[in-house]
Amino acid sequence: MSSWTERVREFGLRNLPPEKLLPDSQPAYMTSAIYLFGALTIGALVVIIASGMILALKGPAWWHVASVGHFVNSIHLWSVELFFFFMVIHLWGKFWMAAWRGGRARVWMTGAVAFLVAVPCAFTGYLSQQNFDSQWIATQGKDGINSLGVGAFFNALNFGQMYSYHILLLPLAVVAIVALHILLVRRHGIVPPIPLADSVGVAAPER
Amino acid sequence: MGAIVNLNGTAHYVHWHFFLMSVPNVVVVVLMLAVFTVALFLRAPGARRPGGSR
Repeated sequence: MSSWTERVREFGLRNLPPEKLLPDSQPAYMTSAIYLFGALTIGALVVIIASGMILALKGPAWWHVASVGHFVNSIHLWSVELFFFFMVIHLWGKFWMAAWRGGRARVWMTGAVAFLVAVPCAFTGYLSQQNFDSQWIATQGKDGINSLGVGAFFNALNFGQMYSYHILLLPLAVVAIVALHILLVRRHGIVPPIPLADSVGVAAPER
Repeated sequence: MGAIVNLNGTAHYVHWHFFLMSVPNVVVVVLMLAVFTVALFLRAPGARRPGGSR
């Protein structure tokens, strides 16, 4: 009987052989710039995590007062803006490609869940600013959250709770889901274009 | 360094029947639609041309 480490290794190699995990070429149909937006989203996420780590280490007194703190705070904000910008364009592109085709349902679903989890991650970030803007958003948002019936354990007015959600729980969830999404993309490959015959309802011409 | 637009004044909104959205949000949505449309037709860097080399 093999050990659990051996079984994990065999599972990994069976599902994600190295040539699939780290391919050295792209499919020939990846000619449009629309295919770049997944990678751009990941790039923005890397900047978000890196700048967020610096902000967490230095604290609110630094990001509100020091000029470098302002700069890193702005980098964090604008990388989030770009993250959502790129992610939504990626979503539009994949929606119109029907990217769940060919057994890629889990790829699509993990992408959708990553988007849904990123929204509260950004929301708790706005609540963690420690300024009048965050107080305004918290008092406006609490009624909506209470109306969902989750106010007892997700209190927008509780800074400590929102900050913990923002710098630990939700980023962990986003990174884990995005990692799973990427591994599934590598396993199933980039979705090919919709065949012309399917899209116009007639047989494709002979080549 | 000052902002490109005055951020201390009253916010501006686009309001048409049921549609109500702040101008900055409208700008972002229009920009996203523009980038999406351009990206569809723009060739990816390093992509091979059909039937030929790069």
